[in-house]
Amino acid sequence: METVITRFVAELRKEGLRVSPGESLDAVCALAYGGLEGRGQVSSLLRLTLVKNVHDIPIFEKVFNRFFSAAPAGMGIDPDDLLKEAIISMEGEMLGTNPEMINDNMSLAGVDAGLSPNDLKDLQSLKETDLDQLDGSEIEIKLKDYQGAMEAPRPSMRMPQNPVTMAFKDSAGQKRDVTFSQQELDAMQDAVTRMLLRLKKDIRRVKNRENRGKIHVIRTIQKNYRNGMVPFLLELRRKRKQKPRLVVLCDVSFSVSHASKFMLLLLHTLHNRMMDVRSFIFNAELAEITEMLSNSPINAMMKEIDGGKIVNLDDNSDYGKVLLKFKEKYLENLRGRPAVIFLGDARNNYGKTNDWVLEQVRDKAGYMLWLTPEERSLWKRGDCVIETYGAWCDRVEVVKSVEELNAIVEDLFRSIYLEEEHRSMRSVKKVEQEEAYDYREYYTRGGGGAAPALDPEGRTHW
Amino acid sequence: MTENKVKELLRSGGYIADEAIATAVFLALRMEKPILIEGPPGVGKTGLAKTLSQVMDFPLVRLQCYEGIDEGKALYDWEYGKQLLYTQMLRTQLDNQLCGASDLREAVDRLASEESLFFSKNFLVQRPVLRSFLSEKRSVLLIDEIDRSDDEFEALLLECLSDFQVSIPELGVLEANNKPLAILTSNGTRMISDALRRRCLYLYIDYPEMEREVMIVRARFPDLCDELAQQMVGFLRKVRELNLRKPPSVSETLDWAEVLSILHVTNLTPEVVANTVGVISKHQADLKQVTELAAAELG
Repeated sequence: METVITRFVAELRKEGLRVSPGESLDAVCALAYGGLEGRGQVSSLLRLTLVKNVHDIPIFEKVFNRFFSAAPAGMGIDPDDLLKEAIISMEGEMLGTNPEMINDNMSLAGVDAGLSPNDLKDLQSLKETDLDQLDGSEIEIKLKDYQGAMEAPRPSMRMPQNPVTMAFKDSAGQKRDVTFSQQELDAMQDAVTRMLLRLKKDIRRVKNRENRGKIHVIRTIQKNYRNGMVPFLLELRRKRKQKPRLVVLCDVSFSVSHASKFMLLLLHTLHNRMMDVRSFIFNAELAEITEMLSNSPINAMMKEIDGGKIVNLDDNSDYGKVLLKFKEKYLENLRGRPAVIFLGDARNNYGKTNDWVLEQVRDKAGYMLWLTPEERSLWKRGDCVIETYGAWCDRVEVVKSVEELNAIVEDLFRSIYLEEEHRSMRSVKKVEQEEAYDYREYYTRGGGGAAPALDPEGRTHW
Repeated sequence: MTENKVKELLRSGGYIADEAIATAVFLALRMEKPILIEGPPGVGKTGLAKTLSQVMDFPLVRLQCYEGIDEGKALYDWEYGKQLLYTQMLRTQLDNQLCGASDLREAVDRLASEESLFFSKNFLVQRPVLRSFLSEKRSVLLIDEIDRSDDEFEALLLECLSDFQVSIPELGVLEANNKPLAILTSNGTRMISDALRRRCLYLYIDYPEMEREVMIVRARFPDLCDELAQQMVGFLRKVRELNLRKPPSVSETLDWAEVLSILHVTNLTPEVVANTVGVISKHQADLKQVTELAAAELG
């Protein structure tokens, strides 16, 4: 039986499942305990022990159906072979088990650890009945199964964690489709999850440092009540948690739509997870979509944007006008020094740049970042005014793929947090400086006399 | 014991299990392996553990995970206060013990020889995991919502769940008297690491099929008439396809069944749904969609 399982596991691995040797051992054990009554039973026993992820269950079903089917010889299994090996392994299993343990658990374990010969005959049923013996309708069903089973797995299915599959270039070349497939959504979810995990470690470090504040006297006493108020466990004052704020202005005109599409997906995924994000989209006009991002499913939103319901997509993008509008309507209520991200190619169609607005945004923002999907070499050509705008930003970056976008946003978060850290470090340093300052000098400064010293008796004398 | 027995046993506790659940429980009992259960909220992951403890007469030890949970909260802790109190009270004894010592070194040696007294099981606070390991009877250890805890905590559980033992530096390794039936649940808000998955049997509980859900309702509310049960379950299955923010789960089905039986409803109408919609949908944005569906389906 081990051989069969090993071969089956090998098939699973070929399909991209990660099955460890320990798990295949578990599967053998499970079959020995659970018995081999019928196909469904074996399938569920194997699934319980070999598959450890929801996404892998359909793949498992497919491989199971293919493997334990009336397939051509060599691919499937020989029933005699299976029988013989089953018997051997059952015996081995029984020898291997500690007899005391069996006694202990008898009430639970039951008595059918060994298999009757009848059960072993049932092994035959693992094989599907021959197609010739079935009537038409069943054959049809089976054939349908096969058609499904023979289809090669798509790489994105096997490796949903691989965001390479969703680089911009692919989607730009193809027919323009505004909605996302489930795989793209999953991949983004995955990428963001891992990004946040990486960030979490850094954040925790910062937070710990922030916590290292003064003692919270009341809480400490409460906490140590059962220790007779002896402060074994300290409770420190926690500083106000600062949620980083983010303001994103995203150009959705046709020229950058392939990039903004993924920016919007990233924003949607990020929303409510750890940040306070305000999002805007613009073309010739500006609109806030924060509410939509958190409330409606991404694909519905993308369709609405693409339909021109929020901002008119037929216009030429006009950065100058958008910036003015942003200043008039929103700049006043930007709070907490947010990081401001612009996504756009800064092709202004020879309109007014109004870059003086950026100066005011600068005053309010903690950090300014401009992302453009265009190569650096194209910046000076035509109506591109990115150099004018870029002068006001902390950084201008070229993003061409999802990985780059994710990496840049992660970098940004990190620098926001680290800036937090610097800020808190500054205050720590200030306190340290104050502590180091010798106040006794205050009295003696300019007086010329030495500081009062302690005499051996412990008494101060003046 | 076979899967069918497990199924019947669970049914006697009011839990209608399907093939996969029964097999998982059966295997977990036989192989002494933990089960990791994932699935949407409210499909009976925690309920399974509770029912198991009830029908098998195992005490239930529950560990609710949250962000920042650590070994002091999950495995064991030292009782500092008690240790301190004992040192205070035993001061004279300690003095007697030490007064014969010729020099400091000997005194320290003598004190060190008694050290194990203060780090013994007397001063150990058993937290859920250790408590279930050391209990007289085999227990059900429910580690609820493991996805809320941190990675570090997950790593901490690895030793406990694979070998059923807890290593305490001062005492050595404590092995389980009775290996508990460990059940871990997760709502999938965070990916559980592969290392933990490998040590468990993996069970995914999805929304039940029509037939089983009707059975669940009937088992819990026997006086509800059969047609109504069919009707409401059928309606809720359609609601789940609506792409709501919080689709109604089995627990909502049961709540609704209770409400309907209190109101003595015999037939589902759009008005009834409109009046009781708060039971099945928990988001303001969803309410409208559900009432619209009710008008279309039942009107």
